[in-house]
Amino acid sequence: MAFRKRNIALSRAHPAVENNPSTPSAAPPPGVRPSPIDGRPTTSTGTPSLDSILAGHAGLALGTSILVEESGTTDYAGALLRFYAAEGVVQGHKVHVVGIGQVWGRELPGMSEDRKDDDGGRRERMKIAWRYEGMGRFEGARGACLTVATSQGDSTTAEEAAVFCHTFDLAKRLSLPVGTAINYVPISRPSGASASPFPSILQNIQRQLASTPSHTIHRIVIPSLLSPALYPPSSAHPTSVLQFLHALRALLRQNPGRLTAMLTLPLSLYPRTSGLVRWMEILCDGVFELSPFPHSHMQALAQSAGTTKEEERPQGMFAVHKLPVFHEKGGGGGGGVELLGEDMAFTLSRRRFVVAKFSLPPLEGDTEAQEEAVREAAAGASAMPKKADLEF
Amino acid sequence: MPPSTRIPPLLQPYVHVARDDSFLILTSTVGASANWLLLRFLCDTLSNTARQGGGGGEGEGEEERNVVLVSWMREYDFWKQEARKGVGLDLERLRREGRLAFVHGLGTGLDASVQQSHATDDRPARSAQTPHHYTLHTLELAHVQDTISAAVAALAATSSAASTPPRKTLLILDNPDLLLALNPTITPASFTSLVLGLHTLPTMAHVLMHMQADNPLLSLSTPAQPLELAHHNLIVKYAHMSTRILGVRVLDTGVARDVSGVIRITEHKAQGIRLRLDREAHVEGGESGNGKEFLYQVKGDGSVRVFERGAGGEG
Repeated sequence: MAFRKRNIALSRAHPAVENNPSTPSAAPPPGVRPSPIDGRPTTSTGTPSLDSILAGHAGLALGTSILVEESGTTDYAGALLRFYAAEGVVQGHKVHVVGIGQVWGRELPGMSEDRKDDDGGRRERMKIAWRYEGMGRFEGARGACLTVATSQGDSTTAEEAAVFCHTFDLAKRLSLPVGTAINYVPISRPSGASASPFPSILQNIQRQLASTPSHTIHRIVIPSLLSPALYPPSSAHPTSVLQFLHALRALLRQNPGRLTAMLTLPLSLYPRTSGLVRWMEILCDGVFELSPFPHSHMQALAQSAGTTKEEERPQGMFAVHKLPVFHEKGGGGGGGVELLGEDMAFTLSRRRFVVAKFSLPPLEGDTEAQEEAVREAAAGASAMPKKADLEF
Repeated sequence: MPPSTRIPPLLQPYVHVARDDSFLILTSTVGASANWLLLRFLCDTLSNTARQGGGGGEGEGEEERNVVLVSWMREYDFWKQEARKGVGLDLERLRREGRLAFVHGLGTGLDASVQQSHATDDRPARSAQTPHHYTLHTLELAHVQDTISAAVAALAATSSAASTPPRKTLLILDNPDLLLALNPTITPASFTSLVLGLHTLPTMAHVLMHMQADNPLLSLSTPAQPLELAHHNLIVKYAHMSTRILGVRVLDTGVARDVSGVIRITEHKAQGIRLRLDREAHVEGGESGNGKEFLYQVKGDGSVRVFERGAGGEG
């Protein structure tokens, strides 16, 4: 039952499972699938483990936004954004990147060609066969359908046919398709003291929405909102940024079938204890907070933990403050909230951003606990329920 | 479907607005939204079966009420879907019957910044086409007041044709505090005068406000930001003015699977204004005064379970 998540990628479809019997009837746009909970269309954030904690919807519901806050000077949230944008490009969605130049777009991670894990992946597929094969859960046509291994055990994404979430490799570069999949929205520097750069951003996105057919999915990527490196000082005024977020919320709600947004916010500049940030959180649908560990702490963990492998070492805490749809309804109910109350940690490796349950490594010499932890880590990392939790 | 199945019995007396005209407040925090509670108010007020033996008790011969829902935070579709799923109300039908008016305030910011560039899919329907559906276009108080007054008056006109004494109106403001945050020229005082002015409209019964009561917005940072000051002033002011405060917050001890959060209900007795410091107790979380606390769980199908602390096991 020990799933090792790093083996899940199976980039080449097995010929035998090619003829997937289940294809969605209405043929949603690429990269969109109905939520297993209430059927609303969702799209992938590009990060499988992030998809899996979105309150059982197994994806980001269209028409909602996510705010990722990060303290410190690291850029883990930026990695999440890159996966999100890259997933959009790969799926043929229209990606709007606000405030950052084309360099950012050129550095999007490329799709992972994961040949070396092929054998291991197939072996693992055999392992999970008893659980999933009967449900018609197969790898997609190309790339890896990561939801197979990462979605919660109770989610009913069995109808999954097309690739919902790709595997990316941060060391590779995504070759952008011709026709510029990415729309770079510049931040204008208005001359007036009170002028805000935000209306022009919204106008730009609205124009794009209007000029594309209604089945085109759009993604708005807003890196480091209010960072002084990108935004003029006047934009940090509560009036201007809150009006922007309010308008963005309205825009998302007006396009409930074709628009999502992901924003990041540097917490060191705008602490969560301020009313401004709280309003921003209220105006966004999902709020996550990344608190990277200081470097020394990370080393200490690595030394004491004979259990944690090099890439499974957590790099920071991942806090969930609000989930799209879920909390708007009052919070509670639905599936896939098993991890909500847990301490969670994130790990960024070359290939993926993993959010998993956090547990301190056992003491040195406590072999029994260490073995236990290995099992825990393996099970936790792949976000699979323990054997005892499974019903037969 | 009878409302008793939609409204948890423990909550029934508190979502029932039977008595004299007054203010009520719902407060939310980031992890605990009071939308479900607001829906219970809608359900109690709008469902017809609530009138006989709905559990409120003191209202025999109680007239029906209209509802004007003004939402700056959520779109009509959200309320429509949640009302149907959660409390079995067909808002669309009620709106056509003239029981409900919806004032759409979410698009305000978009309209203000982007001058009506185009009308997307479902938005061309403006107040002209759909009755009792209004859209706010600016963040100006005068505009807000005019629109809400018009909505109330239109509802009263519809109902007076049917019944001789016009039905009274319950005004629900969903996140009016956002208005202050978005437009700094609106002070808590000017907003209060707006609400008081609306409250004195002849057909107005209760005013229910749904506001945010997050700690960063209430406990001022140093130096206090104007945003936080305004919010603090507004919510404390209304907490004193209101006869009933229903505060929703997350569980103090962390997230639990079978509990969505804590609801705290504090009631002013009707006679006189007694200044009591524990009016804001829903923020402090103390057990003083006449406050009551329950735990609640919103389920996947939209139904809600409300129970006393420690009584989570049963039904």
